[in-house]
This record gives sequence, structure tokens and C-alpha cells, in this order.
Amino acid sequence: MGKVSKSENFSKIDIQSLALYIGAVLIFITFTILCSAYGKSFFTLGNMKNIINQSAVIAVIAIGQSIVILTGGIDLSVGSIVGFVGIAGGLLLKSGMPLMMVIGVVLICGCIIGFANGYFVSFGKVPAFIVTLGSMQIIHGLTMVLNTGRPVSGFPSELRMVVSAKVMGIPISIIYVFLLYAIMITVMKKTTLGRWFYAIGGNANAAKLAGVKTKQIEMLAYVFGGLFASIGGIFLLSRLSYADPNAGMGYELDVIAAVVIGGIALSGGKGSIGNTLVGSLILGMLKCGLQILNVPVYFQTIIIGITIIVAVYLDKAKERKAE
Amino acid sequence: MKDINKSFFGVDVLKNAQLEVRPGEVHVLLGENGAGKSTLIKILSSAYKKNSGRILLEGKEVNFHTPKEAIDAGVNVIYQEFNLNPYVPIYENIFLGREFTKYGFIDEKKTIAEARKSMDRIGLKVDPKTLVGDLSVAQKQMVEITKALNGELKILVLDEPTAAITDTETAELFKIVRELKAKGVGIIYISHRMKELFEIGDRCTVMRDGEFVQTVTLEETSEDELTRMMVGRSVSFEKRVNNHIDEKHKSLEVTGLCYKDVVKDVCLDVKRGEILGIAGLVGAGRTELAKCIIGAYRAHCGAVKVHGKEIENVCICNTIKEKVVYLSEDRKDEGLVLIHGVNDNIALPNLSRFKKFLLNDKKITSVAKEYINKLNIKTSSYKAQANTLSGGNQQKVVIAKWLCIDADVYIFDEPTRGIDVGARDEIYEIMYELISNGASIIMISSDLVEILKMCDRVAVMHEGEIRHTFANDASLTQEKILSYALHGGTH
Repeated sequence: MGKVSKSENFSKIDIQSLALYIGAVLIFITFTILCSAYGKSFFTLGNMKNIINQSAVIAVIAIGQSIVILTGGIDLSVGSIVGFVGIAGGLLLKSGMPLMMVIGVVLICGCIIGFANGYFVSFGKVPAFIVTLGSMQIIHGLTMVLNTGRPVSGFPSELRMVVSAKVMGIPISIIYVFLLYAIMITVMKKTTLGRWFYAIGGNANAAKLAGVKTKQIEMLAYVFGGLFASIGGIFLLSRLSYADPNAGMGYELDVIAAVVIGGIALSGGKGSIGNTLVGSLILGMLKCGLQILNVPVYFQTIIIGITIIVAVYLDKAKERKAE
Repeated sequence: MKDINKSFFGVDVLKNAQLEVRPGEVHVLLGENGAGKSTLIKILSSAYKKNSGRILLEGKEVNFHTPKEAIDAGVNVIYQEFNLNPYVPIYENIFLGREFTKYGFIDEKKTIAEARKSMDRIGLKVDPKTLVGDLSVAQKQMVEITKALNGELKILVLDEPTAAITDTETAELFKIVRELKAKGVGIIYISHRMKELFEIGDRCTVMRDGEFVQTVTLEETSEDELTRMMVGRSVSFEKRVNNHIDEKHKSLEVTGLCYKDVVKDVCLDVKRGEILGIAGLVGAGRTELAKCIIGAYRAHCGAVKVHGKEIENVCICNTIKEKVVYLSEDRKDEGLVLIHGVNDNIALPNLSRFKKFLLNDKKITSVAKEYINKLNIKTSSYKAQANTLSGGNQQKVVIAKWLCIDADVYIFDEPTRGIDVGARDEIYEIMYELISNGASIIMISSDLVEILKMCDRVAVMHEGEIRHTFANDASLTQEKILSYALHGGTH
């Protein structure tokens, strides 16, 4: 027994994760070479910061999305929450509410939206796709109603500092992202709650019979989804210092893309949240690199689409082989 | 099939396996779980690809690339899990992929008429327009057979066909099998039930650990001999004496439990060190009763007492705290998270045990390894995915995860269904060890031999009620239990 498990340990350092990291590095190298061939530079400190900064919003929202997808669900409402947080937070700021309080209020809003989503999915038994498709429309509509569809701008400069302040030359948003990931990786791997999320996605019946309060826990996943979406919304609002009711539209797709590129199965129960960060960075790298290369925006979309499919195709190699 | 070899991820599953079936014979394929029967069959139907070896059909070597090619050549497999779409009517299922068309549209009239004809042939008397989901297991099986009969049929494989059907339905099935046999179809029959093998089979091939052991004519052999070939040793079926019962202490007491129409005013108790059997037909409400006791279903009335103390709010988390646990009959759907590792499955109900502030992975691993050794679970690694294990070993993982809790009352629901003789004995051993350590067991089982062998008392359920509770002494027979199970003992 001991012998076998040792060699298994070694070979199972998780080939899939390894492939993902290699893929990320390959994309990086490709861009470095391509850019230098066209007389531009990709690997500069400025670019790297830019990539991470740009990916930060998607990466943060993707934490919540990963949890939801791990339980076997999906949350389409995250993009609209970003827009909502921008306008609602913006209006509150304009009304003179202190910044920290505004942040607190919008985070709670995110949780409430997530709670509502989760309630209908777990207790209401409505498919997650449909609940969040509906709430996406509702929230977007609400956002439009709040300020009759107009953007909000002219914020105090302290708003910018929320994510743009620098600690030893590093934008604080980058530190936030890594910190949030570190916390959530620990939660998912090392706490009972994390195991429960995985178990529900793997087999909800078995989890229930093992004493897991499946409905409450499933609902909690959506609360996380809403919470991280609103954190992403604060990031965006702070970075742009400008709130557009249409901001965040389509983010849900980028976020889901980041999660699946990271290797989390849409069917739930399998995958690691840390890889979602790599998935987000791959997406960010593609967008940034293609822009530097002056690739027309339509082609960028095509290339990103291909990447998503290829990533999951490669991820499924083992399953195909097993057949 | 000759010299078939197959390995998964470097583990040899089949080593020079072979099987020869003559036209018009029922050939039994026998072996423990994990002996490679299913793999061999899946290679025959080309659901798996073989590493080496040859398959000859009527003397000619064949090489099927897809299951469809195998079916077209007349090789049909009816698996335990049926390949039917429950949401469409019978006739559509029968002609799936072979629809009759008229001007490019489906000719429903003709399809229904043809379906009715072929259903009549095997005596399936239902409207072809019935949805498959509304049929009983036995009827679904007949639909599968009808489907198979539609093409040219040379080889029919039946994988555990009687596992989930009643005795009368089994008799029906055997009639059909005999008719097919008379038509010259070669039938491969996989089953663990010794009695029926001798009733229906002609010859028998025994496999062990992926290897061919022997092919024998069933008339010239005995149950004991077959069992010995399967496990390499003989297994006893005698009742053991249990002197661990503490007559004064009731570990679990249930009074007046009701749930919908399926559990009616049930009272039972089980003493420390005792095994209480619950017999009855499928659908008598046994599983529902168990689920009410642990709180997976909410009973409308009644009370559950553990060690004389009533549980206030009967829900799963509370009953687990009171150390009453339920081991589901349905390993795949309710017992295990199949895509997770053995270690994670064992840890799932016990997470609080491994927690200080964060979970201790090392401790989880060492406990998992301990149980893998203790229960002799055959797995490639402690973190191998549960779905890579054979049925018997999966069941042991289910047992391990509940043993780990160190419960006082274990409710085993069909603990040995679909499990081979060897693993079955090991599971019985575990149960004996549990009661000798002062636990109590409620065992739900449809296998009367097992009930008689294991239990101290036997409660028989019929249509949601416990009709009688027997003490298991020398006077108790299978017939007595059956008469209560079948018609509540009124005849």
C-alpha cells in the first residue's frame, strides 16, 4: 500500500494544474517573442502591473463564481452587480456618505442579492441558470432606474486611492487580489465549509446523508458570489472614478471563462480555486498582449473564444483517454 | 473471446481472460466484484477497447469500433443501469436509431404497430405509448430485451438482471430467456445469486482477479465448488451465536412513526449488541422507515429515542450527533461522492473530528489509510477517486466513513446488494465486530439467507407496517418470513 501511494503522490501532483501553468507560461513567452518581433516590448514592469490591475476585477469576481460553480451552480448576475455597485455606491458617495460606509453598504447589498439568488436556487429548486438570468435583468433594470440611466462622476480623490494607492511601489489592488485568494484557498481546502461546498457539487444526496445542511450551504455559495461581485464592483468604481450603469455588462462571461480555463468543472465538485487566478491572468494577458500587438478588437474576441475552448479541450484529455 | 488483456492506468484488470459461448446456451459468468466480469463484457460490446486478444463471432474474428457496430453484428448487452430515455414512450425507445420514416418524417403509426408486435412476442402487456419512466424495473428490462430482439440477435448479455425485480418477475424473465435459447441465441448471464444460476444456466465460467479460472457444466458442479473457485476458499452460511446482547438496554426505540402512506405507525426497538433485521418486499417502506429514523424524511408523527432519551428535533445532523447513522442502499447516489477521493469520502461526515481551527490533512490521510487497511479496501491509492473502485470496495468505503464516527446504532440498508461472496463475508465480519463492541445494528435486506444468518430478531414489513417481529430461532424459516412479506401473514 505504502509503496503504491508514494508513486501515486508523485504522478498526481495534478497533471491538469501543471498543464495550466505551462500553458500560462507558453502564452507569456509567445507574446514576449511576438512583441519583440514587431519591435514592441511585452515583458515590462508597466505591462505586468497593467495586466494584473486589469485582471483584478475579473479575478476577484471569479472567486465567488468558482465557489458557485463548485457547488454545481452558476451565477450570471455578477456582471449586473458590478454595474449596480457602481451607480448605487456613486450616488451614496455624492450624497455625502463617508467612503468606508459606502463600501460597507454595497458589500451588504451584494450579499443580499446573493442571498436572494441562493434562496430561489436551493430552497426554491429553480435552476441556477434561470434564477440568475432573471436577477441579472432585474438588477440591471434597477441600476438604470436609480439614476435614470445616466452615469455618475465627479468623485472625491480618496475614492481612487482605494485600489490605486501604492505599497512599496505595488498597486494595492494587486495585494488585495492575492490576499483574497489566499484566504479563500484556505477556506476551500482547509475548512469544513470548503469541503461541504465540494461535497455538494460532487453529490448533494451523499452530502445530505452525511449530515451536511445542503440547502443552507448551497445558498451560502451564492452569497459569496454576490459578495465577491460587489468587491469587484468597488474595484472598478475606484479605478475609473466614474460609474456607468452599463459597466460590468458581459463580465459574467469573462468570469465564467476564467473559472473554466482554470479547470473547474461546470458540473461541480472538482477543481481548485487557486487555478481560477491563473485562468484570470491568462485572459488578462491575452487581452493586454493582443492590444500591444494592435490586433483589431474583433480578432481579439475570436482568439479569446478559441482559447476558452482549447483550454477545456486539453483539460478533458484524460477523460477522453479513459474512454 | 480469447486472451483478452486490459489495463486501466497501468493496473491490469484482465489477464488472458477468455469466454466461449455456444449458440442456444445460457452461459453464466461468475466472479467476485472486481474480478473483471463487467470489463470483459464492456470489451465485448466495445464500450472499452482491449489492449490485446481476439474476439471471434461464429468463427470469424471481429473488431468492433463502436457499441453500434457490435449491436449491428448481433451482440447486445443489457446493463444493470438501463439505457432508456424515461421521458419518451416505449415505442420510441425500442426504435431509437432505427426509426421508420415516411417522406422523411417519422411514421408513428407503423412504429407503434411494430412495437406492439415485438412487445407481444415477449409478453410485455403495456400500451406502447406509455412513458418508460412510468414502468417498473422488470418492465423496463423487458423493453430493453424487446429493443435487443429487434435486430439480428446472436449474443445477449444480461448483467445482474434479477437484482432489482421480484420473484414472479424473475420467473417471467426466465421464460423469455428460455425462448431465446430455443431460438439459438447465445446468452451470457451475470449474477451473484447461486440458486438462479443452477435454474437457468447451462455452463459457467468463473473469473477471479481478472483471470479465467475454469469453465464448468453446471449440472456437474455444486454451489460450494463454485464459491470455492470464485474466492479460493469456502464460505459459511450458518447462523452465528450472538452472546453480546444486553437485554436491559435499548439503544434505539421508535414509537408510532408515520410518513405519508409508506410508513404506518411503526414501533421497533433494538438492544445493545443486537442485530435487528427488517425484511420485506421492495416498496414495503423499509428505506423510508430508515430515513425517517435518521431524519432525512420528516415523519408526521412518532418519536425516536436513543438510549432512552427522545431526540427533540429529528434531523440528520442531530441523529449523527446522537450516533445513529444510516448506510444507504444506493452507494452511487447517496453513499459516496464518486468523483472525490477515498480519503475525502471517509472524512466527509467526520470533518469536525479533524478540525482545530483548520482541517488537518495529515490526520485525514492517516485515518483513511487506517481504515483502508482495516477493512481491506482494494484501491490503487488512498486518494483514488471512489468511482475507480469495484462495488464491494465502494461499499467498504461507505462503511468506513460511518465506522469512523464510532456510532451506537448503525442502520445498514441492503449492505451486500450487488456484492460478491468474499466481500460479503468481510462485511458480515465487520458487523459482528461492531455488535461485540456494544453497537446495535438494524439491517434492511431482501436477501433472506442473509437475514437468517445475521439477525437476532426479524421485523417483517408489508405495505408500510411491521406485520410481525420474529425471534430468529431454529423454527424461523424463509417461508414464514415470505408469507408476511408477501401478504402480511393473512394467508
